[in-house]
This record gives sequence, C-alpha cells and structure tokens, in this order.
Amino acid sequence: MSKGGQSRTRLLLVILIVTSLFLVTLDLRGVKLLDSLKQGMQSVVSPFQRTANSALSPVKGFFSDISLLGRSGSQIEKLEKENAALKLELLERQDADVQLDQLKNILDLSGTAGYKIVNAKVISQGSYQSFAQTVTIGSGSNAGIAQNMTVLSEYGIAGIVKEVYPNSALIQLASDPAFRIGVRIVNSQQIGFLTGRGERSGVLQLLDNSTDINEGDVLMSRGSIANRPFVPGVPVGYITTVDNSAGTIAQSATVRYYTDFSKLSVLAVVVGGPSTNPGDALVPQKPRPIPTPTVTVFVTPTPAPSN
Amino acid sequence: MSTRLIGISSLVFLAIYIIQESIVAQFRLPGGGFSILIIFALSWAIMSEREAAAVMGFSAGLLMDLSQNTSGPFGQWTLIMLLASYAISFLGYGDDNFFGGALGVVFSIVLGNLLIELLFLISAPLLGVSVGSYSQIFFTLFGTSIWTLFLTPIVLPIFARLYKTIFQAGSLA
Repeated sequence: MSKGGQSRTRLLLVILIVTSLFLVTLDLRGVKLLDSLKQGMQSVVSPFQRTANSALSPVKGFFSDISLLGRSGSQIEKLEKENAALKLELLERQDADVQLDQLKNILDLSGTAGYKIVNAKVISQGSYQSFAQTVTIGSGSNAGIAQNMTVLSEYGIAGIVKEVYPNSALIQLASDPAFRIGVRIVNSQQIGFLTGRGERSGVLQLLDNSTDINEGDVLMSRGSIANRPFVPGVPVGYITTVDNSAGTIAQSATVRYYTDFSKLSVLAVVVGGPSTNPGDALVPQKPRPIPTPTVTVFVTPTPAPSN
Repeated sequence: MSTRLIGISSLVFLAIYIIQESIVAQFRLPGGGFSILIIFALSWAIMSEREAAAVMGFSAGLLMDLSQNTSGPFGQWTLIMLLASYAISFLGYGDDNFFGGALGVVFSIVLGNLLIELLFLISAPLLGVSVGSYSQIFFTLFGTSIWTLFLTPIVLPIFARLYKTIFQAGSLA
C-alpha cells in the first residue's frame, strides 16, 4: 500500500473510532438519537420473526433437547423406539399442547392473584453475544403493553418489559445479569434483593444480617409503587444454598427460579395489578409424597382338628 | 469502493442481520449459540483491504447495536466490531498474510469471535453493563467458540462466493 493510501486508511479508522465513541457518549448521557431508528428496525424485523417462529416451531426444541442426551440417553432411546412414528405425526400438536398447558397455568396463577394480563407468544429468543438474557413477544403497545410491566410464566416471575414496539416487546428475563427484584421470604417475611446471574439461579442479598434463612425457603415478589415494575405476590424461586461465610456485610443465598427460561413459549404481561395484595396465595405447593399402597395379609392358622 | 458496491454490500449485511434476528434467534442453543452476522463480517473482513474491512466492521457493529437483543450503550458493538474487523484484515490481507489456507481462515474467524466477546467483556464494566457469573461467562465463551468452529466451515464457501460475485463483478463493471 502506498504512503498516501496508508494515511487515508488511518484517517478513516480514526474517523470511525471517533464516531463510535461519540455514539457511546451520547447514549451514556441519555441522548436517545437513534431510538426511533432502533424502533423502526424492530418494526421491520418483527414480521420476519413472527413468520420464522411459526415455520420453525416444530423443530425449535431439538437443539435444547440435545443437551439432555447425555443425562437421559437410555430413556430417550427407549422412548424414541416406542414413539418414533407417533412423534412425527404429533409434533405440531405437541407444540400446541405445551403452549396450551403454559397458558392454562398462567391463567390459573393470574386468576388466583387477580392480575389483569395480556398473553403473548415468544417469537424470538435473545442473543447471547452480549451476555444478556432476553426474549421477544409478539404483542406490544397496541395490546396495552407498556415499559416496566411484570411478565409471568406458568410458574411465576419471568421478567419485565424492557422495550415496547407497536406489535412486539422485548422482555428482560429474571436470569439477566442486570435484573434486580425486591423479594420477601414467605415464612419469615424478611426482605432482600435478588439479582440474576445469566443462568437459572440468582443471588439473594438480605437487608438484615441477623436473621436466619434456610434452604427451601420460598421467595415472593415484594411489589413496587403503582405495581410497576413488579406486582406483589408473584412466586420467584426457592433457596438452594445459604452462604454462611463470616465477615460478609449482608447475608446471601443462591436461589433457583421456578421458571425454566429455556422452555418459554407463552408469557403473560401484567397490565393491571391486583386490587389487594394477594399475600401468600400463590406460594407453590410442596410436592406431596405419593403413598405407596401396602397390602397386609393376615394369616389365620387353621384350627387343628380336635380329637 | 464504488457507491454501487457499498449499496449492494449494505443490502447483503441487512439480509444477514435479518436472518440472524429472525431465524438464528429462534433457537435457544446449548452453550450460547453463534452469531451469523459476526462470522459473516469477519470472513468478509479477512478477504478485504483494511479500509473496506473497517467500514464493514463499523456497519456490522451498527446493525448489532440496532438489535433490541443487545445490551450495553449504543455504539459499543460498533466500536468492537470496527476494531476486530480492522485487526483481522490487518493480519489476513495480502500475500504474506498471517493465515495460510482455508483452515487458517476458519481458526482466525473463531479467534476473532473470541476476541470480540473478550473485548465486550473488557468494555462492559467500563460502560456499566452486567455480564453474569464467571461460570456462565466461561460457558458462553466456550460454547460460542465451539459453535463458530462448527458453523464456519459450512458457511465460509457461501460467504466467499458471495464476496467474489459482488466485488469481482463490481470491479469489472
């Protein structure tokens, strides 16, 4: 490359770097110059997402099922032999059934608590490139959805509405590292903050360091002012491990979310909060052990013949 | 680069972006999945001069910033993609290039993808972006690298042919 060409390349590189830094600075200072462009781009992309979602829904579960092969290989193999023919025919029906089940459970959950909800299908999973945990749903401001509304799955909290477009909305999942929610422990009523970690577990930090927390304790959402971003009384998760290390300022614990973020197909956005706080009405029931039937046989000896 | 070539290239980038957002994003792949846009931008950057590679990286990054799925401030991906594309073109262009043969190109794209993720992780705390637990970060870095290694040999011939069609036909016209 000639000397003139080299200096032109350098100049171009400098201009592009300065432009990028300029965009970053503008965004960090709250100047949303390109927000409308971003909204426009989403309006262009969402019909494609909706079409692709419909077309690919029968095969979407394939890749996530691959990860389970090692753990339950023999079971899957056995089931595959038995159901190979039927599975093919019922693939689309199964997908609809899953969505129907999720929808039914969501309606049960929101009906018990008195939430007014808008149901929506997940039309796109988020990108992992920026370590964020998001999904896109196929309903937006036209359906009454607004920013910072609580989003429910069939088991409890799923996330909050981060961005809204006319016919779609971006949901920040509760597993997102930037997600924070105020929670209370059901039995002791202690309060704290739960933070996402990019996976199905989060970190709980209690505000009071002097009380005890136990494995298995259930966490519910505490609710926000005017029910946004969080409505009260939504099941969040349960404590799996308690961090008892000495010298920590706040007591902390690891929490497993009730929601399985890898299997979201239908979500509900809470567009209207409950008139009264549902309290502990939505605490999930602990699984009851199924009693094993026992058969008692009484043997009565035949009386010996008397002489 | 002529205005016509820039226009055609922009349309191709837009098409790849829509594929990424509407089709690839449908799957929650184990290990974090891949970005077809990153693979595409890096493979074209390797084949291009530094000047063109920088513009390509800038455009790809701008599209990624426009995606609603990305976190962080607007411009972060633009800067990262610009630097990565320029760097990969700097090492890969010319007769004395750093990567010998197709296998070298594949590995350079995998390394470039890893470099992009690392640049994001380095810049994330400076720009106030949360990135999750260490185990999750490691899992994602490993997963995306494996997916990129698996996918690049499949799509590279298509991307190379597309590049050849556009730029060689463009230069003759």
